[in-house]
Amino acid sequence: MKRLLITGISGGQGRLLAKRLSEGWQITGVDRVPWEGAPEYVDVKTLDLRKKKFEDVLRKNRPDAVVHLAFVRHFRGSNELRHEVNVGGTRRLLNSCARYGVKQVVVLSSAYVYGALPENPMYMDEDGPLNVARNFPDIRDLAEVEGLVSSFLWKYPEISTSILRPVNTLGYYVHSAIGSYLGLDIVPTVTGFNPMLQFIHEEDVCEALALAIEKQLRGVFNVAGPGAVPLKTAIHEIGRRRLSVPEPLAHLIIRELFRFRVYDFPPAAMDFIKYPCTVDGSRFVEATGFKPLFSLRDVFASMA
Amino acid sequence: MFYFNKVAELAASAMQSGLSLSSSSLRGLPFADLSRELSDKIDQLPIELNEYGYDPWGFDPNVLKTSMMTAAILYRHYFRAVSVGMNKLPPGRMLLVGNHAGQVAFDGMMVATAMLLETSPPRLARGMGEYWLATLPWLNVLMDRMGHSIGTPSTCAEMLNRDECVLVFPEGVRGMNKVYADAYQLQDFGLGFMRLALETNTPIVPFAVVGSEEQAPGIANLESVAAMLNMPAFPITLTWPLLGPLGMLPLPVRYHIEFGQAMHFEGDHNDEDDAISHKVDEVKDSIQSMLRRGLAERTSIFL
Repeated sequence: MKRLLITGISGGQGRLLAKRLSEGWQITGVDRVPWEGAPEYVDVKTLDLRKKKFEDVLRKNRPDAVVHLAFVRHFRGSNELRHEVNVGGTRRLLNSCARYGVKQVVVLSSAYVYGALPENPMYMDEDGPLNVARNFPDIRDLAEVEGLVSSFLWKYPEISTSILRPVNTLGYYVHSAIGSYLGLDIVPTVTGFNPMLQFIHEEDVCEALALAIEKQLRGVFNVAGPGAVPLKTAIHEIGRRRLSVPEPLAHLIIRELFRFRVYDFPPAAMDFIKYPCTVDGSRFVEATGFKPLFSLRDVFASMA
Repeated sequence: MFYFNKVAELAASAMQSGLSLSSSSLRGLPFADLSRELSDKIDQLPIELNEYGYDPWGFDPNVLKTSMMTAAILYRHYFRAVSVGMNKLPPGRMLLVGNHAGQVAFDGMMVATAMLLETSPPRLARGMGEYWLATLPWLNVLMDRMGHSIGTPSTCAEMLNRDECVLVFPEGVRGMNKVYADAYQLQDFGLGFMRLALETNTPIVPFAVVGSEEQAPGIANLESVAAMLNMPAFPITLTWPLLGPLGMLPLPVRYHIEFGQAMHFEGDHNDEDDAISHKVDEVKDSIQSMLRRGLAERTSIFL
């Protein structure tokens, strides 16, 4: 049986993926936090990607494929920690993959790397610029990670490397920034703005990761879900109350709440509820035959 | 420039908010029939909506039904528009290309209204807005819900690839805010629309609007003032800025809209400007000759 290493296995997406691939693969997982009650078919090692011991896992295990999910995606910690885990961790992982004969690497990025800008075209394809750092310095590490992985992709043509950029992911297991935003008791929106947002169910993202492994995908791929709706429709469907806040006020309030860590979103994240950041997922569909199983209604129901 | 159209439409929808009742509650009121007609036409639009009633770009027919009402009233009762050539419109994707005039883009509004009210099946003419429109509260949402979008080439190409109908004025402000001495003389055309037509294999439908030049004859365009105010143009007309906001109202001219034969072009969309502008000139000539004929046939500006 071929061997698979999943980083960040204790997160929602890691658990789903381990289950999805448990039949064809011998799975090892690493994470900083333990997975209590992990099923027998996975060998979970609690350790930090940034530590020397992580390299030992690859050396001893010699995985055929690696799925990299170990990213800090929230803003609760410091920016330094985020950067160190996301960028530093990815760099170490890629170096080890090249050294220990890994044949396939899949990295879970996100559609946020395009950034939400007023001049964004609708449904951007993979060749578009990664503008996220322009107005949102807090998540420029996402773009840096992509840069590392793309240069790895070109430097090691013998390794099938792929980057997946799924749209807003919702579901029961996965903790995402958009999920916690839409999970607030009262969801703030910016007065006079109501952009189209694409959503995808966590199980469909899991399926996309599995397809990337099974089809030995190489390249960069957007992963779009069943469709797009205006933000306010999504809030309504999830059954939350909404509070419309005029922009100058919204900026001030969010900045202060974030400063005191009452609220987990930096002010720059506001662009994502003002301007569209929609992607064209057809390249991935053509490469894999991917078809989301969960409709928009299913996606929203998973949050209700 | 399309955003004047947007401003006009916003004004229109504001005016409409008082009137934005369902057609049943309008029964007996003036324009009740027109409201019903518009609503029926919008229901017939060949646009696929998702389970929440939106198209992929955020179009919502219910918003269009109320926001287009003022345009429809202007079309039928104020400008008393006469449109011809709709029988020549091709099915499927098309790029509507025409002359731009009149300081405020009522011409775009009227062409869009003609495409809704006078064609069968009705078509939604989608405008391509300026980037900064996306930053204006409410207006950006209204624009999306009415089926328009921010005018990036890739969005336009995507719409055409999905068999939509896109409306462009290649003259931009050069045409809209020219002085009356240049009336009905086409200004320089941008080349972008031709590249998009070639890339997406889209027929170009030329159209000519006669009447728009007289709705607000331009005396001058103060470019320095415009630059100072960060606006693309600052026109002076007989009534603007003399009469204030009231001076922005167009004169009750009659609109004549002619749609010409669809033009099919072939070639590399990345070709040199020279090759592209040769094709653009064919479109321009077609519009100019329709304008000449329309002007010759017109007996009165207002009647």
